[in-house]
Amino acid sequence: MRTDTDRPGLVGSSVKRVNDPRLLVGRGRFIDDISMPGMAHATIVRSTIPSGTVTSFDVADCEALLVLGVDEIAAATRPIPCVWIAPGQEQVEVPVASRQVRYVGQPIGIVVAPSRAEAEDAVECLAIDLAAEDGVADSLQALEPGAPLVYPERGSNIGVEFPIGDPSELVEEAMASAAVVVSRRLRIPRIVPSPLETRGVIADWNPGLEQLTVWMSTQTPHHVRDHIAHSLRLRADQVRVVAGDVGGGFGSKEHLYADELLVCLAAMRLGRPVKWIEDRVEHFTATFHGRDAYHDARLAMTEDGTFLAIHTSITGNLGAHFSNVGTGPFRVSAVMLPGPYRLPVAGASIRAVFTNTTPTGAYRGFGMQEAAWVRERLVDEAARELGMSAIELRRKNMYRSDELPLVTPTFQEYDSGDYGRALDLVDARVRAYAPAPPASARIRQGIAVATHVEFTGLGPSKAQDIVGFRLGGYETAVVRMEPDGSVFVSSGVMGMGQGIETTLAQLAADRLGVPLERVRVQLGDTGVAPYSAAGSIASRSMTVGGGAVVRASTALREKILRIAGAKLEVSPSDLELVEGQIHVKGDPRTGTSLEELVTRAWLGLDLPEGESPDLECKYVHEPLNISYPYATHAAAVSVDLDTGQVAVDAYWVAHDSGVVVNPMIVDGQIMGGVAQGLGIALFEKMLYADDGQPLSTTFMDYLIPLSSDVPTMVMDHYETPAPHIPGGMKGVGEGGTIVAPAAIGNAIAAALPEIAEQILETPLSPGRLWTLIHKAGLHDG
Amino acid sequence: MTGEPDIRITTTVNDVTVEAQVEGRTLLSDFLRHDVGLTGTHVACEHGVCGACTVLVDDQPVRSCLMLAAQVDGCRVDTVESLGTQDDLSPLQSAMWAEHGLQCGFCTPGILMTVEGGRRAGLDVRQVVEDALPGHLCRCTGYQNIRNAIESYFAQGVQA
Ligand code: FES
Ligand code: FES
Repeated sequence: MRTDTDRPGLVGSSVKRVNDPRLLVGRGRFIDDISMPGMAHATIVRSTIPSGTVTSFDVADCEALLVLGVDEIAAATRPIPCVWIAPGQEQVEVPVASRQVRYVGQPIGIVVAPSRAEAEDAVECLAIDLAAEDGVADSLQALEPGAPLVYPERGSNIGVEFPIGDPSELVEEAMASAAVVVSRRLRIPRIVPSPLETRGVIADWNPGLEQLTVWMSTQTPHHVRDHIAHSLRLRADQVRVVAGDVGGGFGSKEHLYADELLVCLAAMRLGRPVKWIEDRVEHFTATFHGRDAYHDARLAMTEDGTFLAIHTSITGNLGAHFSNVGTGPFRVSAVMLPGPYRLPVAGASIRAVFTNTTPTGAYRGFGMQEAAWVRERLVDEAARELGMSAIELRRKNMYRSDELPLVTPTFQEYDSGDYGRALDLVDARVRAYAPAPPASARIRQGIAVATHVEFTGLGPSKAQDIVGFRLGGYETAVVRMEPDGSVFVSSGVMGMGQGIETTLAQLAADRLGVPLERVRVQLGDTGVAPYSAAGSIASRSMTVGGGAVVRASTALREKILRIAGAKLEVSPSDLELVEGQIHVKGDPRTGTSLEELVTRAWLGLDLPEGESPDLECKYVHEPLNISYPYATHAAAVSVDLDTGQVAVDAYWVAHDSGVVVNPMIVDGQIMGGVAQGLGIALFEKMLYADDGQPLSTTFMDYLIPLSSDVPTMVMDHYETPAPHIPGGMKGVGEGGTIVAPAAIGNAIAAALPEIAEQILETPLSPGRLWTLIHKAGLHDG
Repeated sequence: MTGEPDIRITTTVNDVTVEAQVEGRTLLSDFLRHDVGLTGTHVACEHGVCGACTVLVDDQPVRSCLMLAAQVDGCRVDTVESLGTQDDLSPLQSAMWAEHGLQCGFCTPGILMTVEGGRRAGLDVRQVVEDALPGHLCRCTGYQNIRNAIESYFAQGVQA
């Protein structure tokens, strides 16, 4: 990685991650690694039909420690609240169990036995009758007259409809006035998040203390705690959620599932710990999916390619019920549709549709990947129609850095940056690229770019409230210097492989002048961590959580310098704290050892008037704005005309995510994100039969990228600090995934101009491409 | 289906002799994790695709979710716990740390054992990177840094 602001000190340094040695020797503590005396094991009973009714649930022949069926579960629980409510959304909570089943995988019971194998055996002995009805999986089919209704009482499968951005009259006026309007129906299929570690939970009820402890693989411990307490009618203080190592989340572990509540309920009933580990087949059907939207999109421009307006009509598939985030991804697609371009008019209409499929929720990129696919494909198609270079067309329409900050027609307050510079950097890389000529005349090569601006770091709480997202947007950090001079950092954000334990430690160590090894970051335990409403979602851990650590560490440093100043009889502003020593700036011979000062402070000694003895500072960081990183990506692909197979030969990224705390980790986030985007572009699609029966339920029929699929990437970074985030960081967790499908799709279109206008839907699998190539006559002669 | 642990096995796990009674249906992965208590071997798919559960049986990388515990009677099994310690990482583990070859770390033990097995079988770096590594799923890293780590490990001339 190259950055153009090299700073001394720990911030900006590629230090090795603090957790890795443990993970490398097999001493991680993932949920299934935990075992407890007396622990029993659960299996969740699930609907095997997409639509119908549970007519009986007979446990007579079932040998198990405990069986709970739909009615008992429903009676014992309150519905789980939705947290993102769209205007007009009537369904604002979801029952934990119901006799009405609406998707394959819906939980309808739980069986607990001494071992997992015995629990699975016991499920086989249950007598469950399901009365099947017709189901529907596709959101457009669900809107056709006569389609099966997911909620017959509603009279239609439309869950909710609402517009975003400029009013339709303004949009239509702009479209009518344009010389060129590129109009396409694009589709982003359903993605299965697929962290390598599935979900899992262990619950233990202490009847004496009347306290439930829940170990869980989750991105959002406090949020999950609140919903467990709500659904089980407990007080929040009766529930403690502890997350250990999390083997990837990508959005799928950002909320409470009914499954996890069933395990808690079982543990309370049995009075012993109960463990449940999701198996991979369950992950394909019971964990919320991502994406699944059709976009009827238009991009309008003048003859010379000046953009005038963009609009999309989104038909989004909700699945069987509103997930916790409901229409959130469709809304974010709409608000981020304009991207980095000067678009005087922009808007969207959203129609969210119920189907007999697993609910759709958060997955890395959250609506923005869809927006990038739609916008960037339209821009490349526009360039083709205008006969312009796609890079020139972008350059012409991108906001210049002197136009920022500004508010887009979809209400985004873009903060800072130089969007064109990322484009220029990638353009230079692409120009310098000299690919080996194709091995045969049947191989086509193509190179193209895609670009975006991203919404990271949810978010000012008030802004979240305006869009109906009912979780506070702040983060809190507690930073304490212990009597021996070591440092304890506690935050409500969560580690799930992104290295946040290391980067938060870097921020604290940097401000406090202590070596990294002296800092311990504690996350994931609601019994210890300060309250975090939203947890680690939306690329917010570093911006919002890190900003809190910056401020709390700075406050602690100031306190230490005040104490030292009193002791040394100099002004605190004349002191510096370097490598465990406090001395007058530029004069290392003067001063005092940090450790000695700290030890005496905790004894209540040597304190100036009015200073308390605790060396602990807390800061609640309510960000002033979303932060907006951005990037340009380019892909070089080869397409085999005879097989439809695509190889990504080279890949470039130029990126600005504000101040980079650890360049190695930032690179890793982008590489991993691009790999997931490559999966979307070429392989991944959750398949359903028309009636809602799932067809992809293993890694043999749902393909995620392998090492041989993912090229070595070349990256350029530069830094425009986020003006309103302490420390200047912007989020970096999702950008790779957001843009990569569009870059690869555009490159495939560039390789195959004959079918470019039909490159509208991912995955661009060999089967899909071969068919398009064949229809275009490229197999003739 | 029986739940009786009626099969007696003797196996050497990480140089320690283990005698156990197992059920016929017990997977090697479950045996290692839950009976022997070596939770470094991870299970991510239980259908033989992801490679997270890879261990060495008589020096051969195998997917322990596709093998029964009863099948390792008389065999030598090596898991990730046999490689290095937190204070004394193996050269491969050190390379993975230095190159940022892991994020969540869930896939990592399986990959380490495949590379280790490849080294023991005398594969060269190209074979390990191009043939063996694509037998593993990693959802986090994008693989680039894993490849770098393997290359750096082999470049250290550790074949001896
Ligand atoms: S768990 Fe064995 S291959 Fe996936
Ligand atoms: S590091 Fe998370 S799956 Fe590989």
